[in-house]
Amino acid sequence: MKVAVLVKTALDTGQLRVRDTVVIEETPFKISDIDRNAIEEAVKLKGQDKAYGVTVVKWGPLQKKIQEAENVLREALAMGLDEVYLVVDEKLLNASHTATAKAIAAVIKKVGADIVLAGEATVDNFTGQIPARVAAELGWPVVTYVRELKIEGGRVVAKRDLEDHVEVVEAPLPVVVSVTREINQPRIPTLLAIRAAMKKPINKLTLADLGIDITPKISASYRPLVIQRKKIIIKDGTPEEKAEKLIQYLRQEGVI
Amino acid sequence: MKTLVVYPNKELLYAASTLGGEITALVFSQKEAEALAGKAHRILVAEIDPKSPDAVAEAVIKAFPGHDLVMLPSTKNARTVGGLIAQRLGAEFLTDVLSLRAEGGVIKAERYVFGNKAVATVEAQLPAVVSIALGRFQGEPPTVQSIVERVEEVAIAPKVKILSVEEKPRGAVKLEEAEIIVSVGRGFKKKEDLQMAFELAKVLGGQVGCSRPIAADLKWLPEEHWVGLSGKKVKPKLYLAIGISGQPQHIAGILDSRIIAAINNDPSAPIFQNADYGVVEDLYKIVPILINKISKLKAK
Ligand SMILES: Cc1cc2nc3c(=O)[nH]c(=O)nc-3n(C[C@H](O)[C@H](O)[C@H](O)COP(=O)(O)OP(=O)(O)OC[C@H]3O[C@@H](n4cnc5c(N)ncnc54)[C@H](O)[C@@H]3O)c2cc1C
Repeated sequence: MKVAVLVKTALDTGQLRVRDTVVIEETPFKISDIDRNAIEEAVKLKGQDKAYGVTVVKWGPLQKKIQEAENVLREALAMGLDEVYLVVDEKLLNASHTATAKAIAAVIKKVGADIVLAGEATVDNFTGQIPARVAAELGWPVVTYVRELKIEGGRVVAKRDLEDHVEVVEAPLPVVVSVTREINQPRIPTLLAIRAAMKKPINKLTLADLGIDITPKISASYRPLVIQRKKIIIKDGTPEEKAEKLIQYLRQEGVI
Repeated sequence: MKTLVVYPNKELLYAASTLGGEITALVFSQKEAEALAGKAHRILVAEIDPKSPDAVAEAVIKAFPGHDLVMLPSTKNARTVGGLIAQRLGAEFLTDVLSLRAEGGVIKAERYVFGNKAVATVEAQLPAVVSIALGRFQGEPPTVQSIVERVEEVAIAPKVKILSVEEKPRGAVKLEEAEIIVSVGRGFKKKEDLQMAFELAKVLGGQVGCSRPIAADLKWLPEEHWVGLSGKKVKPKLYLAIGISGQPQHIAGILDSRIIAAINNDPSAPIFQNADYGVVEDLYKIVPILINKISKLKAK
């Protein structure tokens, strides 16, 4: 089973650099958390075949971010992927989602896959639209929000976790599948695996290499979300006194 | 502006009406169409399985010509449909938008990004696809004259076949509507200890919520209690977080709470930065006292 995994080199929102605005250039990358589950599932599924990662660098400055992306991708390789494709091109910075999906699909067409795995959404933008877009671009079926996955005779059988119900669905291969965090427990790479990952290939591709051109960009501006809370801390006194104080405050606010 | 509303509900229809222009609602049964009479200019009926994102996407593509915008709710299936059609239309898909404006061929929206630590203002050319964040657009859609039409021959043998559907167990919990939420996190050592939180919620007349690990990893509570980025978004007048550290993904679900209070024995827990009132104390000591004092107060 040849598996492609969409590994987003996402902005590490835990380390968001904020001044008056969000300073994206200075915010480091990390593997989008839920993609670790996709990588884990890929490593389990691939058998004797291969599993490769695909990432598109969406944020600049390009040179600095390529270096960071490579470091992040080493982690994905250490988890058991065989190689990764890093798509980098000035034209992809702040590209529209349509363009990103086109670039990803172009890599998959080039390298081939029986199944594409992705996380249900990425931790920086959390839009959850790329798996369906890639499927549409490839003309493959898509099965989203999967918490259990089996491959049986050329088909996937998957448990989809939706708001009010759980569905069991089947779809023919090739297929795009997005997974939830509940699907598995991602492995933590051993030191040996981390060393081995240093030798695995990171293939860099431009849009020209993929034979596609992309123009649409998305225009977006970001401002930090300033949470206006009173931050009154009750830390002195006995538990009894603290409870009394909290109740007083909450009564003043009229909420109890 | 011509907006195609898929999986229409009151909130979506209201949001669409704020953009002005004409609204088409795409529904999946005659019964739904009847219920919507007077709420959209055109009501299109495509008799397909609304549970199948494939099929719904086909119907939307079929119905789309002549429209500028597709509007969807923020559900998982709608998000899947949105991704499929946006790619086929070569359009942007703005998800979970908090606000929406249309101006000369461009749609402008705000949404939370970066683990809800920032707000993005995004602009996209029409045609575009948007999904609406739950609870953000509250108002009455105006009454209009409706015409009902059918979408014929949506060519769909869905590629993804649904083999079985199992409803999730539903308790009496409706966190989205709760006025008071007592929420529990990993500060609780044993499942049995959650009883304290249920008692406190009872004396306060509220519901019990929880952080992700309690529902997803430990499975001490059903998922309907789970609050946060991947759980429920709530807006109570009081959110009391007990033994919850306050990671951004949890905070993402409680931004709209009027008052946030927190109990945590670690003075440097990030929840205190996001709370109006924070108590640094062992929950095992203070929660029983709170139950006692508040029940006395309420008895008066
Ligand atoms: C993509 C993604 C999506 C996520 N979605 C969600 C989501 O929707 N909702 C969510 O909640 N999380 C979500 N998470 C997980 C989130 O990052 C945190 O791991 C989680 O919220 C932590 O839960 P917690 O606060 O209960 O546990 P912990 O972080 O372990 O915190 C426990 C707290 O209890 C305190 N404590 C311990 N003992 C006591 C005591 N005796 N008295 C008082 N206090 C005590 C500790 O000081 C600590 O602050 C998500 C993560 C990712 C990556």
